[in-house]
Amino acid sequence: MFYDIARGPLALSAFLIFFTGTTFQVLRFFSLSKKIHKTKSRPFRLSKDLSTAKPLTRSRAQRLAALKVSIVGVNPIMTIVTSIFHLCLVVAPLLLLGHNQLIRESWGISLFSLPERLTDIMTHVVIGCALFFLFRRILIARVRSITTVSDYLILILTVAPFITGFLAFHQTHAYKPLILLHMLSGELMLIMLPFTKLTHMIFFFLYRFFIPHENSFGCGTRTWYFGGPRFSFKRWYFGKDEFDIEEW
Amino acid sequence: MNETADAVDVKKIRRTLNKNKTQISLSLKLCVHCALCAESCFLYTHRGKDPIYMPSHKFINSLGRLHKKKGDIDRKGLEEIREIVWERCVLCTRCYCPIGIDIPGMIALTREICRDQGVLPQFDEA
Repeated sequence: MFYDIARGPLALSAFLIFFTGTTFQVLRFFSLSKKIHKTKSRPFRLSKDLSTAKPLTRSRAQRLAALKVSIVGVNPIMTIVTSIFHLCLVVAPLLLLGHNQLIRESWGISLFSLPERLTDIMTHVVIGCALFFLFRRILIARVRSITTVSDYLILILTVAPFITGFLAFHQTHAYKPLILLHMLSGELMLIMLPFTKLTHMIFFFLYRFFIPHENSFGCGTRTWYFGGPRFSFKRWYFGKDEFDIEEW
Repeated sequence: MNETADAVDVKKIRRTLNKNKTQISLSLKLCVHCALCAESCFLYTHRGKDPIYMPSHKFINSLGRLHKKKGDIDRKGLEEIREIVWERCVLCTRCYCPIGIDIPGMIALTREICRDQGVLPQFDEA
């Protein structure tokens, strides 16, 4: 009974909420930022040949020196652990053989799958990295100083599908309740993703690619707009403010 | 201090907060409290690595506090925020957020709110 609900309508609604929420957040980002006037301001890396912030060619020593003061050089362990954690977090569920089998059974198509042994190692890695984050949060003073209860809850929410899936896969305990918990926790994570702190999955890419600053990837074209969202449904409906599509 | 100087114009704070409500709540929500921004602040590295100089700590305890209380703050709270945004931050805009939160922009916004209330840096003290 529970099993059927979790497998059918709940899973579908979770995916629908996830995709709708993601679209909403992407649109919200564009309403909160504006295009840069290239003639008015010239931030760090708007155009390669106009760049004044950094010389175009740098020697190896200069690159190393730049790396040393960057976040990779200052916090190497955290950078490596967090990169591996996030990579495994996304890749393992997407390319898991069991998940792809289920997708193929229902839709007839699916992504390619990684060998089960590899995804099993990835799950180990995710759980290990999560433990690292947990202890980091408890032990390091500067992290502890800004930690709230929600941080622990978010960590549990992220790792819960992995722990339950791991236990279910190895069939250490009762399979049926564990796989039910796995589905429920996974669906809960998908539903919460666009609306809690986990939105950093969406906004990381938007921020780092679209807003130009010295650490951004590529040449961003947008900047922050302070003074409220420039587009609101209320304003659009009542037509109090003119909405300029050119600026958007 | 007399009565008029002591009063805080909550309406004015609320107006500024509401104007930038989405920005502020989104930035607060996106901060995953990773503390990776700590070393990017020169005040943090040069003052004994005290967590109160961490950019995210400053941002959460100044604008985050105002946002949480919806601008309903007394003079004492504003004085505490004054210390954060004017003494613990010089707005050099060198802080680095791995997710890309505009921390200097948020601090600048808090300064704007403080300036509206007449809470300014005090150079004659200490």
